[in-house]
Amino acid sequence: MFKFEKTNLFLNKKVDPKHYRHFVNKVPMVLHCHHYSTLYTQLALDAKEEEVLLKSMEEAIYPILENYYKDNNIERIDDKVEVACQYFSFMGLGKMSVISISENSAEVHLLRSHLDEGWIKKFGKYDRPINYIASGFIAAMFEVINDKRTNTAIVQEVQSIAKGAERAVFRVSTK
Amino acid sequence: MSIDRKRIIDALSKIEVAGNDNGLIEGFGVLVNQMPTTFWNNFAEKLVSKVDPGLIDATEYLLINAGHECGYHTGYGIITSDEWNAVVKPMIEKAPEDILYGAFAVFTAWGWADCEIVELVPNQRMVVRAYDYYESDPVKFGRLERPCAYMLRGISAAFMDLAYGGPYDKTGKKGLKTFTCKQTKGIECGDAYGEFIVVRAQAGYGQY
Repeated sequence: MFKFEKTNLFLNKKVDPKHYRHFVNKVPMVLHCHHYSTLYTQLALDAKEEEVLLKSMEEAIYPILENYYKDNNIERIDDKVEVACQYFSFMGLGKMSVISISENSAEVHLLRSHLDEGWIKKFGKYDRPINYIASGFIAAMFEVINDKRTNTAIVQEVQSIAKGAERAVFRVSTK
Repeated sequence: MSIDRKRIIDALSKIEVAGNDNGLIEGFGVLVNQMPTTFWNNFAEKLVSKVDPGLIDATEYLLINAGHECGYHTGYGIITSDEWNAVVKPMIEKAPEDILYGAFAVFTAWGWADCEIVELVPNQRMVVRAYDYYESDPVKFGRLERPCAYMLRGISAAFMDLAYGGPYDKTGKKGLKTFTCKQTKGIECGDAYGEFIVVRAQAGYGQY
């Protein structure tokens, strides 16, 4: 019987000595807080431009995962999922659990969530799902794992921590 | 000035940050995230370029506001943190001015911008120069007519709020937005550096 050994995310962190920019696996990253992420989300909601927020995250995450899998010869889907979940947590976005992935659909749960918990801290509970940042991450993960182009996944948050659920549930389909 | 900017940057840029077992980064009184700079830039640029021209000012105001609230609350968390107490606090001789100089060193250490205060009139006015900042990255060719360092504007104003706006108020109802910031130069506009002028909110720059 095959024994699956959990892959560990490799993070090469560097600080540019000239301007002090922070790089993780050659990608410029920056620290921000839940005030910033929730206010960006609120702005997207108010402007009815949630899709812009989702796509911005999807487009930022897609090359990170794609390059990571390629550079580290990650080929097994279990490993790809594990790396994506660890990246999500490394970024402080919460605890993600991938329930299933096929070529045309997926179900992903968030057991903890930076954005939802930050939203509740700042604004209290809300009457609709708000986690378009996680949705973008999940879209990118689904697309990269399935060798699909960006902007081909549709992610819907069907259960929301910000609305009061214990865990968030995201369903993925394709265009 | 007793603040050793380089020492602060060297010490605090090495802080390791990563999510805990729950994938959350809890510190400085807030939930922290670390995401690619392209995400923040993409959203701001796409939104501003997409909205009706009559709504650009309002959209930019809200982007600056996000930085302002972030800077106020996280800034307070930083200047009351163990890391601050260990590295920066021993250098402080004159408060709140030295705190401000130290805060901008931390600002640089965290990768927000390579920036420093070049002029400070206590309780009235501050000029900040940024020699490198991620918000200027989207421009690959040519220059913008409108500067776009929204986060830097918001955070610069927030740090003046913390220094001279009265006691910290976690609700943000008092103390926050007693100062406002205008960006007068930008790398994204073809200038050699970004310049940010912070004044009292009623002193003529409008809300921002």
